[in-house]
Amino acid sequence: MLEVSGLAAGYLGENVVEGVDVEVGAGQAVAIIGSNGAGKSTLFRAVCGLLPVAAGRVRFDGADITRRPTHHIARAGLAYVPAERHLFPGMSVRENLMLGAYPGRPDPSAERLVFDLFPRLNQRRGQPAGSLSGGEQQMLAVGRALMSRPRLLMLDEPTTGLAPKLAQSAYAALRVLKERGVTLLVAEQQVPLALSLADRGYVLENGRIRLQGASQDLARNSEVRRAYLGVA
Amino acid sequence: MKASILDGIVLGLQFGLLGVGMTLVYGLGGVLNLAYGQIAVLAAMVVAITLTAGAPTLVAAGAGLLAGAATSVVLDRTLMRPVYRQRGERRVLLGLLLTLGVAFVIDGLLTWRYPTGTLRLGIGGEPVPVLGIGMRVGSLWATGVSLAVAALLLLFRATTPGRAAHAVIQDEVGARLVGINPAAVRTLIFAASGTLAALVAETRSMTSPVTVTAGFDFTILALIVAVVGGLGNVAGAFLAGVLLGIVSTLSAFYIGQYITTIVLLAAAALTILLRPRGLLGRSP
Repeated sequence: MLEVSGLAAGYLGENVVEGVDVEVGAGQAVAIIGSNGAGKSTLFRAVCGLLPVAAGRVRFDGADITRRPTHHIARAGLAYVPAERHLFPGMSVRENLMLGAYPGRPDPSAERLVFDLFPRLNQRRGQPAGSLSGGEQQMLAVGRALMSRPRLLMLDEPTTGLAPKLAQSAYAALRVLKERGVTLLVAEQQVPLALSLADRGYVLENGRIRLQGASQDLARNSEVRRAYLGVA
Repeated sequence: MKASILDGIVLGLQFGLLGVGMTLVYGLGGVLNLAYGQIAVLAAMVVAITLTAGAPTLVAAGAGLLAGAATSVVLDRTLMRPVYRQRGERRVLLGLLLTLGVAFVIDGLLTWRYPTGTLRLGIGGEPVPVLGIGMRVGSLWATGVSLAVAALLLLFRATTPGRAAHAVIQDEVGARLVGINPAAVRTLIFAASGTLAALVAETRSMTSPVTVTAGFDFTILALIVAVVGGLGNVAGAFLAGVLLGIVSTLSAFYIGQYITTIVLLAAAALTILLRPRGLLGRSP
């Protein structure tokens, strides 16, 4: 479904990520794990066209989407939920969700899925997005992305700023999505959470893929345990 | 007093629309269009020329609106391109300088070609009593047209393109992520802005002549209204326009015509000091 090969991207001519290869198959959940500043956000931003690609290719559903404008990529079915969320703060929850379906009309079944997953959003329909709590804003960001019935959902640090309990329930929601057949690519610092969801994972360090493999294997890997799981 | 307030509302509705055209472009493109008033005057001259050529008033008015929209769109699609590649302060600065240049060019060309160009959409007839005060037919027309356009703007907000425009104003990255093309929305908003400029020039000319040299007056007025309403805030600009219209006619009535621009500028300065985010602005 998503095939990233030899990708390099960065800021002001300086590459933050280089030679990155990532593959996500239909129906899979894949995690990119790495510490702060490893290049996870840079990678995601480059994939969805928010950042220029310096080298390499991005293929989505067999089509080359390298250097396509972000709105084309979004309409092709790749939804990206950035860590900063980028909601429309002055608009109501409902309007934010409606815009998620842009340029079409909101699909009732997509809306049902969002409200099943996050009943809180239904209660807060009329409230401006800017007045929601951090956890609710994260729900809305995911909900808005789901309204387009995306074929791939990319989430950058979905637990940013969330208390541990809320982080757990965010991942519970992602697990439900995975069961419903949504393909997921998640960047995460909280490695145990990410590996509990994902089928496969990549370890990103200093802008390069250091390790990759099935989640169980990564969770057993001594390097991963030392660096990310706090096990000596 | 009552007559001044009524006149103020008539004027204020037009101020409001003028400010909305300015504030929309700022909210969307981060650009203060200093050629805005010249676009209004250019449209007025198109109307005057088409009228002289013998076209019916409605056709001429339509041609004026088209001219305003087209000029604005051409500006967006050509000269503004390098501006959009800049971010933050540099974008604002480059936008100011570039549109100021365009303002001088349009101003120069128009005053050179039509040194005595003036538009009067004369709408005659006996004054009509409103709340016990005789209102000129031209004022009533200007008010009717302004209210109708304000209603249209309100309706537009609830359409998909309207919602998309609002989304870009609120968070451009978020808008792109849901599949909105900001450049297309920006062109649409420039067209709307140019149409509003043309429209206000036309409604103004129903009560007082719009001359070829009025460009900078329109721009300054639009800037004041947009600032008082809070830059980028559409509802704020409209409200500010109505209030400033009333302030302006009252100060003209009690103090003198010469003082109104100073009073309006003072209102803008006070707003920046007391409510930097405008009338309807919330604190950050």
